[in-house]
Amino acid sequence: MDFILEYYFDLSVIKDNFGSILDGFWVTLKLSIISGALALAWGLVLAVLRQVPGRPAAPVRWLTIAYIDVFRGVPLLLVLLLVSGGLSTLSSPIGGEVIPREIGIPTWFGETSFFWYGVIGLTATYGAYMAEVYRAGIEAVPGGQMEASRSLGMSHGRAMRYVIVPQAVRKVIPPLLNDFIALMKDTSLVSVLGAVEVVQAGRDIQSDEFNGSGLVFGAILFLIVTIPLARLVDWLIARQQGRTQRGGKPVPKGTTGTAGGGITT
Amino acid sequence: MSGAAVVDGMENGGPTLRLEDVHKSFGDLHVLRGVELEVAKGEVICVLGPSGSGKSTLLRCINLLEPPERGRIFLEGREITCSEGRERQTDTDFVRRRVGIVFQQFNLFPHMSARDNVALAQEKVLGRDRSEARKKAEGLLARVGLSDKLNEYPDRLSGGQQQRVAVARALAMDPHVMLFDEVTSALDPELVKEVLDVMRELADEGMTMIVVTHEIGFARDVASRVVFMDEGVVVEQGAPEQVLGNPREERTKRFLGLVLEH
Repeated sequence: MDFILEYYFDLSVIKDNFGSILDGFWVTLKLSIISGALALAWGLVLAVLRQVPGRPAAPVRWLTIAYIDVFRGVPLLLVLLLVSGGLSTLSSPIGGEVIPREIGIPTWFGETSFFWYGVIGLTATYGAYMAEVYRAGIEAVPGGQMEASRSLGMSHGRAMRYVIVPQAVRKVIPPLLNDFIALMKDTSLVSVLGAVEVVQAGRDIQSDEFNGSGLVFGAILFLIVTIPLARLVDWLIARQQGRTQRGGKPVPKGTTGTAGGGITT
Repeated sequence: MSGAAVVDGMENGGPTLRLEDVHKSFGDLHVLRGVELEVAKGEVICVLGPSGSGKSTLLRCINLLEPPERGRIFLEGREITCSEGRERQTDTDFVRRRVGIVFQQFNLFPHMSARDNVALAQEKVLGRDRSEARKKAEGLLARVGLSDKLNEYPDRLSGGQQQRVAVARALAMDPHVMLFDEVTSALDPELVKEVLDVMRELADEGMTMIVVTHEIGFARDVASRVVFMDEGVVVEQGAPEQVLGNPREERTKRFLGLVLEH
Protein backbone atom coordinates (compact mmCIF):
# COMPACT_ATOMS: atom_id res chain seq x y z
CA MET A 1 0.00 0.00 0.00
CA ASP A 2 2.72 2.42 0.94
CA PHE A 3 4.48 1.49 -2.23
CA ILE A 4 1.45 2.47 -4.30
CA LEU A 5 1.05 5.78 -2.51
CA GLU A 6 4.70 6.50 -2.94
CA TYR A 7 4.70 5.65 -6.63
CA TYR A 8 1.75 7.88 -7.49
CA PHE A 9 1.67 10.54 -4.80
CA ASP A 10 5.22 11.23 -3.68
CA LEU A 11 5.02 14.90 -2.73
CA SER A 12 8.79 15.27 -2.53
CA VAL A 13 9.11 14.18 -6.18
CA ILE A 14 6.48 16.71 -7.16
CA LYS A 15 8.16 19.40 -5.11
CA ASP A 16 11.59 18.71 -6.61
CA ASN A 17 10.23 18.83 -10.16
CA PHE A 18 7.54 21.45 -9.68
CA GLY A 19 9.15 23.94 -12.05
CA SER A 20 9.73 21.56 -14.93
CA ILE A 21 6.19 20.18 -14.74
CA LEU A 22 4.71 23.68 -14.71
CA ASP A 23 6.94 24.60 -17.65
CA GLY A 24 5.56 21.54 -19.46
CA PHE A 25 2.02 22.53 -18.65
CA TRP A 26 2.66 26.02 -19.93
CA VAL A 27 3.64 24.45 -23.28
CA THR A 28 0.46 22.35 -23.14
CA LEU A 29 -1.62 25.47 -22.57
CA LYS A 30 0.06 27.39 -25.38
CA LEU A 31 -0.40 24.46 -27.76
CA SER A 32 -4.06 24.16 -26.75
CA ILE A 33 -4.94 27.80 -27.02
CA ILE A 34 -3.12 28.52 -30.28
CA SER A 35 -4.30 25.31 -31.96
CA GLY A 36 -7.78 25.73 -30.51
CA ALA A 37 -8.14 29.28 -31.82
CA LEU A 38 -6.80 28.33 -35.24
CA ALA A 39 -9.00 25.22 -35.41
CA LEU A 40 -12.07 27.32 -34.52
CA ALA A 41 -11.35 29.63 -37.44
CA TRP A 42 -10.29 26.90 -39.87
CA GLY A 43 -13.33 24.80 -38.98
CA LEU A 44 -15.65 27.69 -39.73
CA VAL A 45 -13.95 28.28 -43.08
CA LEU A 46 -14.38 24.59 -43.94
CA ALA A 47 -18.03 24.57 -42.83
CA VAL A 48 -18.84 27.60 -44.97
CA LEU A 49 -16.94 26.23 -47.98
CA ARG A 50 -18.87 23.01 -47.64
CA GLN A 51 -22.13 24.95 -48.08
CA VAL A 52 -21.17 27.24 -50.97
CA PRO A 53 -24.17 27.08 -53.31
CA GLY A 54 -24.35 26.64 -57.04
CA ARG A 55 -23.13 24.17 -59.60
CA PRO A 56 -19.82 25.92 -60.42
CA ALA A 57 -18.81 25.63 -56.76
CA ALA A 58 -19.36 21.86 -56.65
CA PRO A 59 -15.60 21.04 -56.78
CA VAL A 60 -15.05 23.31 -53.78
CA ARG A 61 -17.69 21.40 -51.84
CA TRP A 62 -16.25 18.01 -52.84
CA LEU A 63 -12.71 19.00 -51.91
CA THR A 64 -13.91 20.30 -48.57
CA ILE A 65 -15.85 17.14 -47.84
CA ALA A 66 -12.84 15.02 -48.87
CA TYR A 67 -10.59 17.02 -46.57
CA ILE A 68 -12.96 16.66 -43.63
CA ASP A 69 -13.37 12.94 -44.24
CA VAL A 70 -9.63 12.36 -44.41
CA PHE A 71 -8.70 14.31 -41.30
CA ARG A 72 -11.55 12.93 -39.25
CA GLY A 73 -10.68 9.41 -40.31
CA VAL A 74 -6.92 9.38 -39.73
CA PRO A 75 -5.25 9.18 -36.28
CA LEU A 76 -3.86 12.49 -35.08
CA LEU A 77 -0.55 10.80 -34.27
CA LEU A 78 -0.18 9.80 -37.90
CA VAL A 79 -0.97 13.33 -39.05
CA LEU A 80 1.63 14.72 -36.64
CA LEU A 81 4.29 12.33 -37.92
CA LEU A 82 3.51 13.17 -41.55
CA VAL A 83 3.54 16.91 -40.88
CA SER A 84 6.82 16.96 -38.98
CA GLY A 85 8.56 14.45 -41.21
CA GLY A 86 7.28 16.02 -44.40
CA LEU A 87 8.04 19.63 -43.57
CA SER A 88 11.50 18.99 -42.16
CA THR A 89 12.53 16.65 -44.97
CA LEU A 90 11.13 18.69 -47.86
CA SER A 91 12.99 21.78 -46.66
CA SER A 92 16.28 19.87 -46.39
CA PRO A 93 18.75 18.96 -49.16
CA ILE A 94 17.50 15.33 -49.03
CA GLY A 95 14.00 16.50 -49.95
CA GLY A 96 15.21 18.80 -52.69
CA GLU A 97 14.51 21.92 -50.61
CA VAL A 98 11.07 22.36 -52.20
CA ILE A 99 9.88 24.17 -49.10
CA PRO A 100 11.66 27.26 -47.71
CA ARG A 101 13.55 26.45 -44.54
CA GLU A 102 11.65 29.03 -42.42
CA ILE A 103 8.45 27.11 -43.12
CA GLY A 104 9.94 23.61 -43.12
CA ILE A 105 11.56 24.09 -39.73
CA PRO A 106 9.48 26.89 -38.20
CA THR A 107 10.70 28.59 -35.04
CA TRP A 108 8.25 31.49 -34.99
CA PHE A 109 7.82 33.52 -31.79
CA GLY A 110 10.67 31.62 -30.14
CA GLU A 111 8.82 28.29 -30.10
CA THR A 112 10.41 25.06 -31.27
CA SER A 113 9.65 23.51 -34.64
CA PHE A 114 8.06 20.55 -32.76
CA PHE A 115 5.66 22.99 -31.20
CA TRP A 116 4.62 24.36 -34.59
CA TYR A 117 4.31 20.91 -36.17
CA GLY A 118 1.98 20.16 -33.29
CA VAL A 119 -0.04 23.32 -33.94
CA ILE A 120 -0.33 22.48 -37.64
CA GLY A 121 -1.39 18.87 -37.02
CA LEU A 122 -3.86 19.74 -34.26
CA THR A 123 -5.37 22.57 -36.31
CA ALA A 124 -5.69 20.42 -39.43
CA THR A 125 -7.41 17.59 -37.53
CA TYR A 126 -9.54 19.57 -35.09
CA GLY A 127 -10.52 22.01 -37.85
CA ALA A 128 -12.17 19.03 -39.54
CA TYR A 129 -13.97 18.01 -36.33
CA MET A 130 -15.12 21.54 -35.66
CA ALA A 131 -16.28 21.98 -39.25
CA GLU A 132 -18.77 19.21 -38.60
CA VAL A 133 -19.94 20.91 -35.43
CA TYR A 134 -20.42 24.21 -37.26
CA ARG A 135 -22.26 22.40 -40.02
CA ALA A 136 -24.73 21.01 -37.51
CA GLY A 137 -25.21 24.54 -36.18
CA ILE A 138 -25.73 26.03 -39.63
CA GLU A 139 -28.24 23.32 -40.49
CA ALA A 140 -30.08 23.97 -37.22
CA VAL A 141 -30.81 27.58 -38.24
CA PRO A 142 -34.36 27.54 -39.68
CA GLY A 143 -34.52 27.74 -43.47
CA GLY A 144 -36.72 30.81 -43.19
CA GLN A 145 -33.69 32.82 -42.04
CA MET A 146 -31.87 32.31 -45.33
CA GLU A 147 -35.07 32.98 -47.29
CA ALA A 148 -35.74 36.18 -45.39
CA SER A 149 -32.16 37.34 -45.98
CA ARG A 150 -32.28 36.47 -49.66
CA SER A 151 -35.67 38.16 -50.08
CA LEU A 152 -34.09 41.35 -48.71
CA GLY A 153 -31.53 41.20 -51.49
CA MET A 154 -28.60 39.74 -49.55
CA SER A 155 -26.27 37.41 -51.39
CA HIS A 156 -25.70 33.93 -50.00
CA GLY A 157 -22.37 35.09 -48.57
CA ARG A 158 -23.82 38.12 -46.82
CA ALA A 159 -26.70 36.09 -45.46
CA MET A 160 -24.22 33.57 -44.05
CA ARG A 161 -22.05 36.25 -42.55
CA TYR A 162 -24.64 38.47 -40.93
CA VAL A 163 -27.58 36.14 -40.31
CA ILE A 164 -26.83 32.42 -40.42
CA VAL A 165 -23.33 32.05 -38.94
CA PRO A 166 -23.91 34.35 -35.93
CA GLN A 167 -26.92 32.25 -34.96
CA ALA A 168 -25.17 28.95 -35.74
CA VAL A 169 -22.12 29.81 -33.63
CA ARG A 170 -24.28 30.57 -30.60
CA LYS A 171 -25.94 27.18 -30.91
CA VAL A 172 -22.67 25.24 -31.13
CA ILE A 173 -20.54 26.87 -28.44
CA PRO A 174 -21.03 23.89 -26.06
CA PRO A 175 -19.99 21.19 -28.55
CA LEU A 176 -17.08 23.38 -29.69
CA LEU A 177 -15.90 23.60 -26.09
CA ASN A 178 -16.13 19.81 -25.87
CA ASP A 179 -13.90 19.58 -28.92
CA PHE A 180 -11.53 22.01 -27.27
CA ILE A 181 -11.28 19.76 -24.22
CA ALA A 182 -10.48 16.83 -26.49
CA LEU A 183 -7.91 18.91 -28.34
CA MET A 184 -6.24 19.91 -25.11
CA LYS A 185 -5.82 16.28 -24.09
CA ASP A 186 -4.51 15.38 -27.54
CA THR A 187 -1.70 17.92 -27.25
CA SER A 188 0.09 15.15 -25.32
CA LEU A 189 0.67 13.39 -28.65
CA VAL A 190 2.97 16.21 -29.72
CA SER A 191 5.49 14.83 -27.20
CA VAL A 192 6.22 12.12 -29.76
CA LEU A 193 7.73 14.78 -32.01
CA GLY A 194 10.02 15.99 -29.24
CA ALA A 195 8.06 18.80 -27.66
CA VAL A 196 8.32 18.82 -23.87
CA GLU A 197 4.76 19.46 -22.78
CA VAL A 198 3.37 18.32 -19.48
CA VAL A 199 3.09 14.62 -20.27
CA GLN A 200 6.64 14.47 -21.60
CA ALA A 201 7.85 16.36 -18.52
CA GLY A 202 6.17 13.75 -16.33
CA ARG A 203 7.66 10.91 -18.36
CA ASP A 204 11.14 12.34 -17.98
CA ILE A 205 10.68 12.33 -14.21
CA GLN A 206 9.21 8.83 -14.35
CA SER A 207 12.21 7.43 -16.16
CA ASP A 208 14.72 9.34 -14.01
CA GLU A 209 13.23 8.53 -10.63
CA PHE A 210 11.10 5.42 -11.26
CA ASN A 211 8.17 7.38 -9.88
CA GLY A 212 4.86 8.36 -11.49
CA SER A 213 4.04 11.30 -9.24
CA GLY A 214 5.08 13.82 -11.87
CA LEU A 215 2.55 12.33 -14.31
CA VAL A 216 -0.15 12.40 -11.63
CA PHE A 217 0.59 16.06 -11.01
CA GLY A 218 0.27 16.62 -14.75
CA ALA A 219 -3.10 14.88 -14.69
CA ILE A 220 -4.23 17.16 -11.87
CA LEU A 221 -3.19 20.21 -13.86
CA PHE A 222 -5.27 18.94 -16.81
CA LEU A 223 -8.28 18.44 -14.56
CA ILE A 224 -7.96 21.93 -13.11
CA VAL A 225 -8.67 23.25 -16.60
CA THR A 226 -10.94 20.59 -18.08
CA ILE A 227 -13.41 20.09 -15.20
CA PRO A 228 -14.43 23.77 -15.04
CA LEU A 229 -14.71 23.73 -18.84
CA ALA A 230 -17.00 20.68 -18.66
CA ARG A 231 -19.14 22.42 -16.04
CA LEU A 232 -19.25 25.52 -18.25
CA VAL A 233 -20.50 23.38 -21.13
CA ASP A 234 -23.23 21.91 -18.91
CA TRP A 235 -24.25 25.37 -17.75
CA LEU A 236 -24.38 26.75 -21.29
CA ILE A 237 -26.51 23.81 -22.45
CA ALA A 238 -28.89 24.22 -19.53
CA ARG A 239 -29.18 27.92 -20.27
CA GLN A 240 -29.91 27.27 -23.94
CA GLN A 241 -32.57 24.74 -23.09
CA GLY A 242 -34.15 27.14 -20.64
CA ARG A 243 -34.27 29.80 -23.30
CA THR A 244 -35.85 27.43 -25.80
CA GLN A 245 -38.55 26.47 -23.35
CA ARG A 246 -39.34 30.14 -22.82
CA GLY A 247 -39.93 30.48 -26.53
CA GLY A 248 -36.65 32.16 -27.40
CA LYS A 249 -36.06 30.08 -30.48
CA PRO A 250 -38.28 30.40 -33.54
CA VAL A 251 -41.00 27.84 -33.02
CA PRO A 252 -43.22 26.84 -35.91
CA LYS A 253 -46.91 27.74 -35.89
CA GLY A 254 -48.71 29.61 -33.21
CA THR A 255 -45.63 31.48 -32.05
CA THR A 256 -46.19 34.15 -29.47
CA GLY A 257 -43.40 36.03 -27.79
CA THR A 258 -42.85 35.81 -24.07
CA ALA A 259 -43.41 39.49 -23.45
CA GLY A 260 -46.56 39.43 -25.54
CA GLY A 261 -48.36 37.96 -22.58
CA GLY A 262 -47.18 34.44 -23.29
CA ILE A 263 -50.47 33.64 -24.90
CA THR A 264 -50.80 30.08 -26.06
CA THR A 265 -53.90 28.67 -27.58
CA MET B 1 -62.10 37.64 -67.11
CA SER B 2 -60.79 40.72 -65.38
CA GLY B 3 -60.99 43.11 -68.27
CA ALA B 4 -61.30 46.29 -66.25
CA ALA B 5 -58.22 45.72 -64.13
CA VAL B 6 -56.07 44.81 -67.09
CA VAL B 7 -57.11 47.93 -68.98
CA ASP B 8 -56.30 50.03 -65.94
CA GLY B 9 -52.84 48.53 -65.90
CA MET B 10 -52.24 49.30 -69.53
CA GLU B 11 -53.16 52.93 -69.01
CA ASN B 12 -50.35 53.23 -66.50
CA GLY B 13 -47.85 52.10 -69.08
CA GLY B 14 -48.13 48.33 -68.79
CA PRO B 15 -48.66 46.06 -65.84
CA THR B 16 -46.25 46.08 -62.93
CA LEU B 17 -46.26 42.32 -62.95
CA ARG B 18 -47.27 39.82 -65.61
CA LEU B 19 -47.23 36.05 -65.28
CA GLU B 20 -47.58 33.85 -68.35
CA ASP B 21 -48.17 30.13 -68.05
CA VAL B 22 -46.06 29.75 -64.90
CA HIS B 23 -45.33 26.16 -63.85
CA LYS B 24 -43.55 24.85 -60.79
CA SER B 25 -43.07 21.31 -59.50
CA PHE B 26 -41.46 19.89 -56.41
CA GLY B 27 -40.43 16.42 -57.47
CA ASP B 28 -43.58 14.68 -58.62
CA LEU B 29 -45.79 17.35 -57.14
CA HIS B 30 -46.94 19.71 -59.89
CA VAL B 31 -47.89 22.72 -57.77
CA LEU B 32 -48.35 25.49 -60.32
CA ARG B 33 -49.93 24.34 -63.57
CA GLY B 34 -49.93 27.39 -65.78
CA VAL B 35 -50.72 30.51 -63.80
CA GLU B 36 -51.75 33.61 -65.75
CA LEU B 37 -51.92 36.88 -63.86
CA GLU B 38 -51.48 40.59 -64.42
CA VAL B 39 -51.08 43.14 -61.68
CA ALA B 40 -51.31 46.85 -62.34
CA LYS B 41 -49.49 49.50 -60.35
CA GLY B 42 -51.26 50.27 -57.10
CA GLU B 43 -53.51 47.23 -57.26
CA VAL B 44 -54.14 45.14 -54.18
CA ILE B 45 -54.65 41.53 -55.21
CA CYS B 46 -55.98 39.10 -52.63
CA VAL B 47 -55.30 35.49 -53.52
CA LEU B 48 -57.65 32.96 -51.99
CA GLY B 49 -57.75 29.22 -52.34
CA PRO B 50 -57.64 25.93 -50.47
CA SER B 51 -54.37 24.84 -48.94
CA GLY B 52 -52.15 23.19 -51.49
CA SER B 53 -53.61 25.26 -54.30
CA GLY B 54 -50.23 26.88 -54.97
CA LYS B 55 -50.83 30.36 -53.53
CA SER B 56 -47.65 30.51 -51.48
CA THR B 57 -45.60 28.91 -54.22
CA LEU B 58 -46.89 31.59 -56.57
CA LEU B 59 -45.52 34.35 -54.33
CA ARG B 60 -42.23 32.50 -53.95
CA CYS B 61 -41.95 32.22 -57.72
CA ILE B 62 -42.60 35.93 -58.16
CA ASN B 63 -39.59 36.91 -56.07
CA LEU B 64 -37.58 33.95 -57.39
CA LEU B 65 -37.18 32.20 -54.05
CA GLU B 66 -38.45 29.30 -56.15
CA PRO B 67 -37.53 29.89 -59.77
CA PRO B 68 -40.39 28.66 -61.95
CA GLU B 69 -39.44 25.92 -64.38
CA ARG B 70 -41.71 26.98 -67.20
CA GLY B 71 -43.48 30.15 -68.21
CA ARG B 72 -42.45 33.76 -68.02
CA ILE B 73 -42.68 36.46 -65.41
CA PHE B 74 -42.32 40.14 -66.26
CA LEU B 75 -41.64 42.72 -63.60
CA GLU B 76 -42.07 46.33 -64.72
CA GLY B 77 -41.76 45.16 -68.29
CA ARG B 78 -38.56 43.17 -67.84
CA GLU B 79 -38.55 39.41 -68.03
CA ILE B 80 -37.11 37.94 -64.84
CA THR B 81 -37.37 34.27 -65.73
CA CYS B 82 -34.97 32.57 -68.06
CA SER B 83 -35.94 29.78 -70.36
CA GLU B 84 -34.07 27.03 -68.52
CA GLY B 85 -35.72 28.08 -65.29
CA ARG B 86 -32.37 28.68 -63.64
CA GLU B 87 -31.61 31.52 -61.32
CA ARG B 88 -29.71 34.41 -62.89
CA GLN B 89 -28.00 36.74 -60.47
CA THR B 90 -28.80 39.97 -62.32
CA ASP B 91 -32.50 39.09 -62.37
CA THR B 92 -32.47 38.04 -58.75
CA ASP B 93 -30.98 41.39 -57.71
CA PHE B 94 -33.44 43.26 -59.93
CA VAL B 95 -36.36 41.40 -58.38
CA ARG B 96 -35.26 41.45 -54.76
CA ARG B 97 -34.76 45.22 -54.87
CA ARG B 98 -38.26 45.78 -56.14
CA VAL B 99 -40.28 43.07 -54.47
CA GLY B 100 -40.62 42.75 -50.71
CA ILE B 101 -42.11 39.72 -49.01
CA VAL B 102 -43.54 39.08 -45.57
CA PHE B 103 -43.72 35.46 -44.42
CA GLN B 104 -46.19 33.52 -42.35
CA GLN B 105 -43.49 32.69 -39.77
CA PHE B 106 -42.12 36.28 -39.61
CA ASN B 107 -38.54 35.03 -39.98
CA LEU B 108 -37.12 37.93 -38.00
CA PHE B 109 -33.42 37.69 -37.20
CA PRO B 110 -33.51 36.52 -33.57
CA HIS B 111 -30.03 37.80 -32.72
CA MET B 112 -30.84 41.41 -33.55
CA SER B 113 -33.04 44.11 -32.07
CA ALA B 114 -36.14 45.24 -33.94
CA ARG B 115 -34.26 48.27 -35.20
CA ASP B 116 -31.30 46.25 -36.45
CA ASN B 117 -33.66 43.79 -38.14
CA VAL B 118 -34.96 46.70 -40.19
CA ALA B 119 -31.57 48.35 -40.69
CA LEU B 120 -29.37 45.36 -41.63
CA ALA B 121 -30.22 44.91 -45.30
CA GLN B 122 -30.33 48.67 -45.85
CA GLU B 123 -26.68 48.80 -44.86
CA LYS B 124 -25.46 45.57 -46.42
CA VAL B 125 -27.49 45.64 -49.63
CA LEU B 126 -28.38 49.26 -50.36
CA GLY B 127 -25.14 50.61 -48.87
CA ARG B 128 -26.84 53.16 -46.66
CA ASP B 129 -24.66 54.30 -43.79
CA ARG B 130 -25.49 53.12 -40.33
CA SER B 131 -27.11 56.27 -38.99
CA GLU B 132 -29.23 56.69 -42.09
CA ALA B 133 -30.37 53.06 -41.99
CA ARG B 134 -31.22 53.29 -38.30
CA LYS B 135 -33.13 56.52 -38.79
CA LYS B 136 -35.15 54.97 -41.58
CA ALA B 137 -35.73 51.89 -39.40
CA GLU B 138 -36.98 54.06 -36.56
CA GLY B 139 -39.34 55.89 -38.91
CA LEU B 140 -40.75 52.66 -40.28
CA LEU B 141 -41.14 51.08 -36.86
CA ALA B 142 -43.02 54.19 -35.76
CA ARG B 143 -45.23 53.82 -38.80
CA VAL B 144 -46.20 50.26 -37.76
CA GLY B 145 -46.75 51.45 -34.19
CA LEU B 146 -43.61 50.08 -32.57
CA SER B 147 -41.60 53.19 -31.63
CA ASP B 148 -41.34 51.88 -28.09
CA LYS B 149 -39.87 48.52 -29.19
CA LEU B 150 -36.79 49.66 -31.12
CA ASN B 151 -34.32 47.85 -28.89
CA GLU B 152 -36.39 44.75 -28.16
CA TYR B 153 -35.31 41.39 -29.50
CA PRO B 154 -37.84 39.30 -31.40
CA ASP B 155 -38.33 36.81 -28.57
CA ARG B 156 -39.58 39.66 -26.41
CA LEU B 157 -42.24 40.67 -28.94
CA SER B 158 -45.68 39.20 -29.50
CA GLY B 159 -46.44 37.52 -32.81
CA GLY B 160 -48.34 40.56 -34.02
CA GLN B 161 -45.47 42.86 -33.11
CA GLN B 162 -42.95 40.54 -34.77
CA GLN B 163 -44.99 40.52 -37.93
CA ARG B 164 -45.18 44.31 -37.96
CA VAL B 165 -41.39 44.46 -37.62
CA ALA B 166 -41.23 42.09 -40.60
CA VAL B 167 -43.42 44.47 -42.62
CA ALA B 168 -41.18 47.40 -41.67
CA ARG B 169 -38.11 45.34 -42.61
CA ALA B 170 -39.49 44.66 -46.08
CA LEU B 171 -40.56 48.30 -46.56
CA ALA B 172 -37.07 49.50 -45.64
CA MET B 173 -35.86 48.34 -49.03
CA ASP B 174 -38.30 50.70 -50.78
CA PRO B 175 -40.05 47.93 -52.71
CA HIS B 176 -42.39 48.63 -55.59
CA VAL B 177 -44.42 45.50 -54.88
CA MET B 178 -45.16 43.83 -51.56
CA LEU B 179 -46.02 40.16 -51.23
CA PHE B 180 -47.79 38.88 -48.12
CA ASP B 181 -47.75 35.14 -47.59
CA GLU B 182 -50.51 34.23 -45.10
CA VAL B 183 -49.03 36.75 -42.72
CA THR B 184 -51.75 36.40 -40.10
CA SER B 185 -52.13 32.62 -40.17
CA ALA B 186 -49.60 32.00 -37.39
CA LEU B 187 -51.07 34.68 -35.13
CA ASP B 188 -53.44 34.34 -32.24
CA PRO B 189 -56.82 35.80 -33.19
CA GLU B 190 -56.52 38.93 -31.07
CA LEU B 191 -53.25 39.86 -32.78
CA VAL B 192 -54.51 39.61 -36.34
CA LYS B 193 -56.12 43.03 -36.52
CA GLU B 194 -52.98 45.04 -35.72
CA VAL B 195 -51.21 43.44 -38.66
CA LEU B 196 -54.14 43.81 -41.05
CA ASP B 197 -54.44 47.48 -40.07
CA VAL B 198 -50.85 48.08 -41.10
CA MET B 199 -51.51 46.37 -44.44
CA ARG B 200 -54.69 48.34 -44.96
CA GLU B 201 -52.78 51.58 -44.44
CA LEU B 202 -50.16 50.45 -46.92
CA ALA B 203 -52.86 49.69 -49.47
CA ASP B 204 -54.41 53.11 -48.94
CA GLU B 205 -51.05 54.70 -49.67
CA GLY B 206 -51.06 53.05 -53.08
CA MET B 207 -48.61 50.18 -52.61
CA THR B 208 -48.93 47.40 -55.15
CA MET B 209 -49.67 44.31 -53.11
CA ILE B 210 -50.32 40.63 -53.58
CA VAL B 211 -51.85 39.19 -50.46
CA VAL B 212 -52.29 35.47 -49.95
CA THR B 213 -54.79 35.27 -47.14
CA HIS B 214 -57.65 33.47 -45.50
CA GLU B 215 -59.06 36.74 -44.18
CA ILE B 216 -62.16 37.08 -46.34
CA GLY B 217 -63.17 40.29 -44.59
CA PHE B 218 -59.84 41.91 -45.45
CA ALA B 219 -60.17 40.79 -49.06
CA ARG B 220 -63.67 42.22 -49.29
CA ASP B 221 -62.67 45.61 -47.84
CA VAL B 222 -59.21 46.18 -49.21
CA ALA B 223 -58.69 44.18 -52.38
CA SER B 224 -59.04 45.84 -55.73
CA ARG B 225 -59.24 42.35 -57.17
CA VAL B 226 -59.73 38.90 -55.71
CA VAL B 227 -58.05 35.92 -57.34
CA PHE B 228 -59.25 32.42 -56.56
CA MET B 229 -56.72 29.64 -57.12
CA ASP B 230 -57.18 25.91 -57.04
CA GLU B 231 -54.96 23.05 -58.14
CA GLY B 232 -52.25 25.34 -59.42
CA VAL B 233 -54.28 27.57 -61.69
CA VAL B 234 -56.28 30.78 -61.40
CA VAL B 235 -59.87 29.59 -61.41
CA GLU B 236 -61.62 32.91 -61.17
CA GLN B 237 -60.77 36.55 -60.60
CA GLY B 238 -62.59 39.82 -60.43
CA ALA B 239 -63.87 42.54 -58.15
CA PRO B 240 -64.26 41.40 -54.54
CA GLU B 241 -68.05 41.86 -54.58
CA GLN B 242 -68.28 39.61 -57.60
CA VAL B 243 -65.89 36.81 -56.61
CA LEU B 244 -66.89 36.74 -52.97
CA GLY B 245 -70.56 37.69 -53.36
CA ASN B 246 -71.50 36.07 -56.60
CA PRO B 247 -68.85 33.58 -57.71
CA ARG B 248 -69.21 32.12 -61.18
CA GLU B 249 -67.19 28.97 -60.73
CA GLU B 250 -68.39 25.92 -58.84
CA ARG B 251 -65.01 25.47 -57.11
CA THR B 252 -65.07 29.05 -55.84
CA LYS B 253 -68.56 28.61 -54.45
CA ARG B 254 -67.60 25.40 -52.68
CA PHE B 255 -64.49 26.97 -51.14
CA LEU B 256 -66.30 30.10 -49.97
CA GLY B 257 -69.03 27.92 -48.55
CA LEU B 258 -66.47 26.09 -46.44
CA VAL B 259 -64.61 29.22 -45.36
CA LEU B 260 -67.65 31.34 -44.53
CA GLU B 261 -69.43 28.58 -42.63
CA HIS B 262 -67.70 29.16 -39.33
